[in-house]
Amino acid sequence: MICCTPMNLATRRYTLRTMAAMFFYVIFIYVAVRAFRHGHPEGISAYVLALLPALPVVGVLVGVGLYLAEERDEFLRSVFVQSMVWGIGVTLAVTTVWGFLELFLSVPHLDLYLIFPLFWLAVGISSPFLRLRYR
Amino acid sequence: MKNRLRVLRAEREWSQADLAERLGVSRQSVNALETGKYDPSLPLAFKLARVFATTIESIFLEEPGDGEA
Repeated sequence: MICCTPMNLATRRYTLRTMAAMFFYVIFIYVAVRAFRHGHPEGISAYVLALLPALPVVGVLVGVGLYLAEERDEFLRSVFVQSMVWGIGVTLAVTTVWGFLELFLSVPHLDLYLIFPLFWLAVGISSPFLRLRYR
Repeated sequence: MKNRLRVLRAEREWSQADLAERLGVSRQSVNALETGKYDPSLPLAFKLARVFATTIESIFLEEPGDGEA
């Protein structure tokens, strides 16, 4: 995922899968919010509706796995894995620190669904620095 | 790890993109290999040797400290 070069097949597939997952995420979140705001889903349908937005998010992770399996360029794969490791590290650090702050102090609660975007934010910030390292 | 990739490539008047195409990798990979910032896996090292019709040992040069824990 180094910038400014034609995308190879694995990267193209990864990008398309991620975009498709995000498309369904927007639709599913809209459906879920609308259903809970205007209706009173109960039982299994409530669980299905509540879990609906999580499906594309899990799909993105499956896409990551597929990319790693399909990417033939070991250097690009290595840079991608490094950015993931940075994302995991930052996410674990931030959520652990915040967890203890929540435990002992009255700080705002961090909703669990925000951990995923936090992870990708960390991945996004680390990627340009990793690219600079190999320039 | 030091290597002679840039020299070998220049001898054949190949651009980084030419070598990348022959190896089936990105130009960034070739750049990272040439600058010694990325050490290739054994399969890629063999591929490089095949592309340059030489041996791995004549491309990559061991430096003091390489491979030490």
